[in-house]
Amino acid sequence: MPEGKRQRLWQALRWAGGQRIYLLFGLTLVAMSLWAPKFLNAYNLTVIAKSMSLNALVAAGFTVVMIAGELDLSVSSTLTLGAMLAVGLRPGCGWWLSVPIALASGVLVGLVNGWLVTKARIHSFIATLGTMTIVQGIIYLYSHGSSVSVTGADDFALADFLETPVAPLLTPRVLVTVALVAAIQGVLSWTRAGRNLYLVGGSKETAWLAGLSPGLYVSGAFAVSGFTAALAGALFGMGISSATTDLGVSSLMDVITAAIIGGTAMSGGRGNVLCSALAVLTFAAMFNGFNRLGFGSELRIFVAGLVLALVVLHEAWSRWRHERQRGRRAYLMAELEAARQAVAGGQTR
Amino acid sequence: MRRTGFLVLVVSGMVYACLSGCRPKPRGEAPAQPGPEPGDGQTNLAKSLAVDLSGLKSGDGQPLLLPLETKVPPARPAAPSDLPEADPLHWYDMEYAGWSVAKVDLPQSPRDGAIGKRVVTIINGDHPYLTAYSAGMRKVADAYRMDLRVLSPNWKLDVQNQMLEEAINDRPDLVILIPLDAKVAVQQVRKVSQAGVPIILSNMHPENEAMRYAICWTGPDDWGQFRLLARAWADKLGKQGGVCYIRHAPGGSPYFARTYGPISELSGYAPGIRALDMQAPGFEAAKTQQVVADWLTRFGQELTGICAADDSAQAIGITEACRKAGRADIVVVAAGNSKVGMDAVKAGQLLAITYQSAEADGAVALKAAADWFNGVAVEPVRYLPKHVITAADVDHYLPAQW
Repeated sequence: MPEGKRQRLWQALRWAGGQRIYLLFGLTLVAMSLWAPKFLNAYNLTVIAKSMSLNALVAAGFTVVMIAGELDLSVSSTLTLGAMLAVGLRPGCGWWLSVPIALASGVLVGLVNGWLVTKARIHSFIATLGTMTIVQGIIYLYSHGSSVSVTGADDFALADFLETPVAPLLTPRVLVTVALVAAIQGVLSWTRAGRNLYLVGGSKETAWLAGLSPGLYVSGAFAVSGFTAALAGALFGMGISSATTDLGVSSLMDVITAAIIGGTAMSGGRGNVLCSALAVLTFAAMFNGFNRLGFGSELRIFVAGLVLALVVLHEAWSRWRHERQRGRRAYLMAELEAARQAVAGGQTR
Repeated sequence: MRRTGFLVLVVSGMVYACLSGCRPKPRGEAPAQPGPEPGDGQTNLAKSLAVDLSGLKSGDGQPLLLPLETKVPPARPAAPSDLPEADPLHWYDMEYAGWSVAKVDLPQSPRDGAIGKRVVTIINGDHPYLTAYSAGMRKVADAYRMDLRVLSPNWKLDVQNQMLEEAINDRPDLVILIPLDAKVAVQQVRKVSQAGVPIILSNMHPENEAMRYAICWTGPDDWGQFRLLARAWADKLGKQGGVCYIRHAPGGSPYFARTYGPISELSGYAPGIRALDMQAPGFEAAKTQQVVADWLTRFGQELTGICAADDSAQAIGITEACRKAGRADIVVVAAGNSKVGMDAVKAGQLLAITYQSAEADGAVALKAAADWFNGVAVEPVRYLPKHVITAADVDHYLPAQW
C-alpha cells in the first residue's frame, strides 16, 4: 500500500478509536432501528433509558475513581447497601430519612476506601475487594439473607412516579441520572478541582510537586463513587419497592466494561463520565435490540466480551503505534545522525 | 463540530420516535398482533378445547402433564410470624401464598381458544433445569400452535425488569414469569397486570401480595416435597441425630421451603433430630465441599445427615467432602432430579431426592395459560405432583431430563 494511503488509513483508524463510543452508539441505534421489531418507539426508548440509569450512575462514580488512577470494586455491594437501607429502613423512618441514611452509608464506604488507599497505602484493588466483601457481609447480616420490600399504597405511588415519564423518554429516575452524570462531568471539565483530579490520576508525584494533595483527591473520588453507587441502588430500590441481597453483583463487570469502552484509562488521568454513561446506554440499547430479535443471553455475554476485547486490543495497538512513532521522530533521528557524523568527523581529524 | 452534528442527529431521531406515538396500548384496547379471525372465535375455542395433551411425554419417559397435586390449606393463624420457626404454620403465608388472596382487577379470559396465541415467558436465568423447563413448555406450545418466546435475564434483576417492560411493549396475549425474587415479584407482576397484560407466575413462589395481580401460580410444591423427603430421611436416621442444611440461593422461595420445610416437619415427626447448622454456599461444588468439610470437623460424629437444596453441584460437594473424611455413614438427601442426583441415588451416595419434573414444570404453566384462553377455570395455585425418588425406583425416572 502506498505510504500516503497507509497514513490516511492510520489517521482514520485513530479518529475512529477516539470517537469509538459515539460510533458504537450510533451504529447500535441505526442497526436496531432497522432490524429489531418495535425498537424505535417512545415506550421502548424509555425502557432503554430506564435500564441504563442503574449502571450509568454507578459507572459515573467508578469513572471518577479510575480518572484518579484507582479502582473501586466495592461499587457492587455499595449499590446493594444503598437499596437495602433505603427500602429496609423505610417502614421505620420514612423515605425522607431512609434515603439520606442510604446515601450517607455509600459516602462512608467511599471514605473508608479512600483512607485504606491513601493512608494505609493498600492497593485500591485489594482495599476495595475487602470492603466489597465486608459490605456484602453486612448486607446479609442486616437482611438475614432475605430481600426487603415495602407494599404500602404510598410506596407503590412513589415507585410509579419514579418509573413514569415526565418528559419524552425521561422518568424522574432517568432525569436524576442524566443530571448527576452531566454535573459530575461539568465539575471534572470546568473546575480547577476537576482538572486537578486528572493531574492526580496522571501522576500523583507531579500533582504533589504542583502543590496538590493527592490523598484528598483520591479520597474525594472514592466518596463520589460510594455516593453514586448508593444513590443508584436507592433509586432502583424505590422504583421496584424492594431490594435483593445480590442486586449489585452483576453490575460490577458491566460498569468496568462501560468505563473502559468509554475511553477511561486504567492507568488514570484520562476519562469521561459522559462517555462511560453513553457506553452503558449503548449496551442497554444493544441488549434491548437483541431481545427484540429473539437472541438469547449467551449472545449478550458474547457481544459484551467481544466489544471489550476489541477496545482493549485497539488501545494496545494505539499504544504500540504511539511508542513506535515516538521512537522514530524525524528530528531526533536527524540530531542523532548529526551527532554521529560529528563524532566520526572528530575521529578523522 | 462532527460530534455536535452526530448528537443532533441522534436527538432528532429520538424526538421523531416520541412524536410518532408508538406507545403501548392502554388496557382494554385490542392487541396489535393478528389473533383469530372475527367469527372464528368459537371454532378456535372448539379446536383448542379438543387438543389432546395426554400423549405428550417428558424426556424421562414420564407423561408430560401428570395429574396435579391437590392441597387443602389449613386455617390461617392470626399471626403466623409470632409462631416459632419450627412450627409449620409459621411459614403459612409463604407456603400457601396465593390460595386465599383477593385478586385485583384481573383481565377476563377471552374464551376464544389457545390456538395461535402469543405468549412471552421470562425465566430467571440460564440453567439446565430451565432448559428442560423451556423444552416442556415448547411441547405444549407446539400442541396449541402458540407463538412462544422464552427470554432469560441470566439471573440479573434489572435485566428481568427490562424484559418485562419489553413484553409490555410487545403486547403479547399473556406473560409467564419465573420471578428472580419473591418480594420483587410484587412490583413486577403489578406493573404487567396494570398494563393490561395477563400474567401467570411459575416455578418460584412469590410473595402473597404478588398473587393478587396474577391469574395463577404453577410449580412444584416445595414445602410438600420437602416434608415428604424429610420423612424418608428421618426414617433412615432412626428419627434421631444432628443434621445440617445446605440452602438454596437467598431471596427465592426455595431458600426457605427447602430448609424450613424439613425442619418444621421433623419437629413433629422426628423431634429427636436436631438442626446443627444451615449455610447457603451457592451452587458451586467446591464451596459446598468446603462448608461440609468444616461441619465434619466442627460437629464430628454428631453430624449424621445433610439435606441439600440441589442434587447436582451441591450434592457433588457434599459427597466429595464426606468421601474425603471417610464418612459414608452420613445420610444425604436433596432436591432433584438431575442426572447427577439420580446417578448418586443409584450409587448409594444420596438416600433420596425429590421428583420435580422440569419439563412438566414448564408444561403446566403454559397449560394453565391455555386453559385460561379457553375459558376453563384456573385454580389460583397449581402444584406438580409430589414424589420422592430412592434407589428402589430411580431407574423408572432415567434417562434424566437435565
